[in-house]
Amino acid sequence: MKHVTKIALSAILAVGVMSGCADKTERIDIHNDKGDQVMGLDYRDFNQAAGEAVQSMLMSGAVDKKNGDRYVLAISRITNDTMQHIDTDQLIKKIRVELLKSGKVVVTTAVGANGPEDKMSKQARELRKDDEFNQNTVQKKGTMSAPDLSLSGKILQRNVAMDDGKQQVEYYFMLSLTEIKTGLAWWEGETIIGKRGSGKSVSW
Amino acid sequence: MKKLLLAAIMAVVITGCSSNSSYVKVVDDSMKDDISIEKINERVNSESGLKELQVLGENETNKYMKLRYRVVWFDKDGFEIKSIGQNWTELPVYKNADFSIHIVAPNKAAVDYRLFINK
Repeated sequence: MKHVTKIALSAILAVGVMSGCADKTERIDIHNDKGDQVMGLDYRDFNQAAGEAVQSMLMSGAVDKKNGDRYVLAISRITNDTMQHIDTDQLIKKIRVELLKSGKVVVTTAVGANGPEDKMSKQARELRKDDEFNQNTVQKKGTMSAPDLSLSGKILQRNVAMDDGKQQVEYYFMLSLTEIKTGLAWWEGETIIGKRGSGKSVSW
Repeated sequence: MKKLLLAAIMAVVITGCSSNSSYVKVVDDSMKDDISIEKINERVNSESGLKELQVLGENETNKYMKLRYRVVWFDKDGFEIKSIGQNWTELPVYKNADFSIHIVAPNKAAVDYRLFINK
């Protein structure tokens, strides 16, 4: 009986220790996240950079078309020049969504620096040759809108070793809005986010 | 009695007519002696047609502060308009110095706002 009690107690103890060790996964409250900063880029940094870019663009008047109409914007090359694996859409998508909501810009997915984002606009037109499709429902020639503006940019990272062994990481979000007709940049913006932490921290 | 009823009806009508429910609020009570809101300017930009808001304030303390603000916009019917401005934005406020917050509405439908300032 003593032996059984011992085993039972050990089992309870082991379960207690194991559940105590297991880190609980928590969902982040992205609306008020006061969690520690990381040396790499996280969603808070992208939110800040995108928010500043949109506010600056709307204030500049660069996206105000004279007759109140909307500009057609193409997304050009956004270079990730950091040591991190970033999908630059993390930044650009937020900007696109806000510009679309502003009613001043509409983004074309049929033209892009790396080819169309959505190939279907072109592929659906290949149905012109296909007798199986009602040709009245196939898009006619000359219906697509060419872009007026192009958004390009770069996310840059610079690592600086501090005297006290710490590391400073600077991130530069650099964006340009170019009028395609003239090739002139109508708007340019830069957001700098700097982080300082342990030299042992990895920022990629 | 008739006059009282008329006055009550007028009060309801006047309250109902005033659509401007915009305000600026310092969320954290502990900051209320540290910063002051001096002026709130509003305008509709004639080029863009977007409402702009400028809040002028002052840091009355002898220390640098990093504040945050977020703004929620509403249309004329009082419906909330989601925008990236609803995320907290950092605001550096230097000691014994003025500060300003300049925000542009996300679209032409945004007419009212609620601006929250916090630590």
